[in-house]
Amino acid sequence: MSWITVIWSMVASACLTLAAIHLLVWCRKRTAWPNLFFSLTSIATAALAFGEFEMMRAQTPGEFGTALRWVHVPVLALIVGLVGFVQTYLGGGRRWLALTTCALRAFSLLLNFLMEPNVNYREITRLRHISFLGDSVSVCEGVPSPWNLVGHLSLLLLVFFVADAGITVWRRGDRRQAVVVGGSIVFFVLAATVQTMLTRWEVVHWPETACLFFLGIVVAMGYEMSREVYQAAQLSDELQQSEEWINLATDSAGVGIWAWDFTSNIIWATEKARTLYGFSSDELIPFEKFLSKVHPDDIDWVVQASQKCFQEGADFRDDYRIVMPDGSTRWVRVLAKAFLTPSGKPERMTGVSLDITENKRAEEALVRSQHLLRETGRIGKVGGWEFNIDTSKQTWTEETYNIHEVDLTYEPTVERGLDFYTPDSRPIIERAVQRATEHGEPFDLELEIITAKGNLRSVHAVGNSDLEHRRVYGFFQDITERKQSEFEALNQRNQLAHVARISTMGELATSLAHELSQPLGAILRNAEAAELFLQATPPDLEEVRDILADIQRDDQRAGAVIDRMRSLLKRREVEHSLLDLNLLADEVISLIRPEAGARKIGLELDPDSPLPPVRGDRIQLQQVLLNLLINAMDAMNNPAPDDRRVTVRIQAAGTQVEVAVSDTGQGIPADKLAHIFEPFFTTKANGLGVGLPISRKIIEAHGGSIRAENAPDGGARFCITLPVAIEESPL
Amino acid sequence: MNEAEPIVHVVDDDTSFLTAVARMLRASGFSVKTFGSSAEFLACRELNVHGCVLADLRMPGLNGLELQEALAKAGHRMPVIFLSGHGDIPTTVQAMRRGAEDFLTKRAPKEELIDAVKRALERDARERAERTRLEALRARFAALTPRELEVLKHVVQGKLNKQIAYDLGIHERTVKLHRTALTTKLGVHSTPELTKLWLEAGERR
Repeated sequence: MSWITVIWSMVASACLTLAAIHLLVWCRKRTAWPNLFFSLTSIATAALAFGEFEMMRAQTPGEFGTALRWVHVPVLALIVGLVGFVQTYLGGGRRWLALTTCALRAFSLLLNFLMEPNVNYREITRLRHISFLGDSVSVCEGVPSPWNLVGHLSLLLLVFFVADAGITVWRRGDRRQAVVVGGSIVFFVLAATVQTMLTRWEVVHWPETACLFFLGIVVAMGYEMSREVYQAAQLSDELQQSEEWINLATDSAGVGIWAWDFTSNIIWATEKARTLYGFSSDELIPFEKFLSKVHPDDIDWVVQASQKCFQEGADFRDDYRIVMPDGSTRWVRVLAKAFLTPSGKPERMTGVSLDITENKRAEEALVRSQHLLRETGRIGKVGGWEFNIDTSKQTWTEETYNIHEVDLTYEPTVERGLDFYTPDSRPIIERAVQRATEHGEPFDLELEIITAKGNLRSVHAVGNSDLEHRRVYGFFQDITERKQSEFEALNQRNQLAHVARISTMGELATSLAHELSQPLGAILRNAEAAELFLQATPPDLEEVRDILADIQRDDQRAGAVIDRMRSLLKRREVEHSLLDLNLLADEVISLIRPEAGARKIGLELDPDSPLPPVRGDRIQLQQVLLNLLINAMDAMNNPAPDDRRVTVRIQAAGTQVEVAVSDTGQGIPADKLAHIFEPFFTTKANGLGVGLPISRKIIEAHGGSIRAENAPDGGARFCITLPVAIEESPL
Repeated sequence: MNEAEPIVHVVDDDTSFLTAVARMLRASGFSVKTFGSSAEFLACRELNVHGCVLADLRMPGLNGLELQEALAKAGHRMPVIFLSGHGDIPTTVQAMRRGAEDFLTKRAPKEELIDAVKRALERDARERAERTRLEALRARFAALTPRELEVLKHVVQGKLNKQIAYDLGIHERTVKLHRTALTTKLGVHSTPELTKLWLEAGERR
């Protein structure tokens, strides 16, 4: 086998191999136009090699002419291939130049088939056999046709077109591509043209070897294409890595990625996205299948929103529910982008989906809890507040606004909040807030505010400090109604207490009348005596003077009795003051002593000293003690006069003061002990049954307690305990 | 009978009233003694004098009613006038039933008080005279021998000497002797007179 056979067949087979590979690539991917053009170029080169081989092996001028004629077909294909490749691969070159080149070459081919023997020669006179690569090959001698120039012109146009495209690409920055593809085409086409022209015009005797030059071009193009394959492989690696990264990131973020190809109507989805929607790993997902997962209530607008996205090319951003195979509902948040074809038709939509069920639940729980807070706040008239110690900026809940009767646009600050308080309350709250901010002391106060609409309201303000976070917070309650009803209850209780007091005083009426009649009787008798002394001759003025002094003294005595009675009988407001129970008991005992004397009952007071004061209403506490003393005296009809004794014992006991009233009667029957504090329960023939219940109410209103018991050595004992007054700091 | 000045005894625990009422009574011409309590009054040795008691009904210790009772037990018969801050009916009834002379409020008009005191003193004087007369009479009866007394009892029953002699189992003449002796001792002159004296002395057996 000669070298020529070897070389030309190798050129052809190499080109065909490359063509086959790239043709296959194009078949897989119809948009891979450079591969198609490369295949065309390669096939054309292979065909050219075959034609040239035939020319070299021609035995007659006729055979040579025919081969030369047919060689023009692959040359046209070659030019089309190159032009297409440059246009699609390099993305450059002027389109009109490309078209002109191809048209000119096609014209040359047309001429070629119209003329005999071809476009190159008018006539091939003879064949010459020359030695080439150690073989004998045929070259022709004849008259070249001037139309030959059309073909050469097309080749020059091609060179011009490629050079122009190369420059564009070079300028664009893809210099290597410009040099390898553009440069090789320019160089080898020029080389092929020159060689052809030289042989054609018989300047040199050389067989046609254009296919070798074109092989150069194919190799350069192939190299460039293979680089791309290499790069693609490299990119694929990188892509895989980055995909792994993305998967890792999206998986850990719980984000599923998907893409919906509108033409195939199939949704591609990552594993995470499939899990999210309840699809298996290998399941094919058409859009309808996806829709079947969407909650029936949400389907309509999911479809509408998707359509809208495709119409406007907008982003899809929404939350909707999907129903899982087990029937549970999950919330999904979707961010997607719609892609349109250049003609504006829907192409695909890609996006990410995120399971936000927990967020939604938390959100719903938050909304519910806010609603609950608002509603309970409204019902209980309790608002919350908080302020920052440094900025003094305050936050209120809705009900706090309502209590102040301001609308929600009001911007509260500590200062503005304080302005609502009444002149009496303001110093107290100011002091409390100051202590809370400086020392972290909590406060719990009942105060009064004047609302924005001018209404007076009683409020319960409770505050706590969180100095670590520089804030003070608490609640704020409208207790106007409670205060009102408390006030009314207090009024009723006071009225009842007053009635009870009058009834108690009624029991003492005899002894009080007696006490009053003593000084009054003395005054009358003294006055009568004085009259007589004055009538005497001479009038005994000394005696009259004594009498007048006595009258004055008795008048004062009567006045004191009246005052004592009046203070107990008068209807009055409750006044709290610091009280010494020793003194208070002594006063009550002196009021009741005449009655006790008349009943032959010994009264003993056993005071305690020193005794801390209690805070309370003098008259009401006297009333309680008076009531207990009268009860004690009433209980002692049976014992002999010497054994009738009522003892009032006063003792300080820690934070309390205890007052015990014991008698030496028969005690309280066991079955009645439990009921004696009940209203209208009485053991006395004329009793109303209000004394002890009122006493208990009074003592409880003073923060104390009262209990009844039978003493071990006989007799009943009533114990009152009252809290020791707390030294109130001046606020 | 009015050999000694009658004394008004005032008992009241209230010193002021005690002084005032004593002052007024003295100025009105009465002799007055004051006592701060029932016990003080009862401890006084001169109880059996002419006079009356003016007592507060309501006092510690013995009250007015109890004082009245104590006096009665001790055989003292002085009239008691009660004074009270106010007149309550049950107490008044009880006091009057026990023979209270009067019942006055502490601020009763002067005249009422003085009238009451006068009435009491008059009654006291009257009763005292009566008591004195009876005591003298009883003393005369007491001078009789037991046999004379026996005879007397039969005489006032209207029995004849013969019957008496038979009943007593003695001689009719002895009866006559006893009758003479007892009429002499008693200073009477006739049997009706004797019977009247016997009834007055209240010697009933």
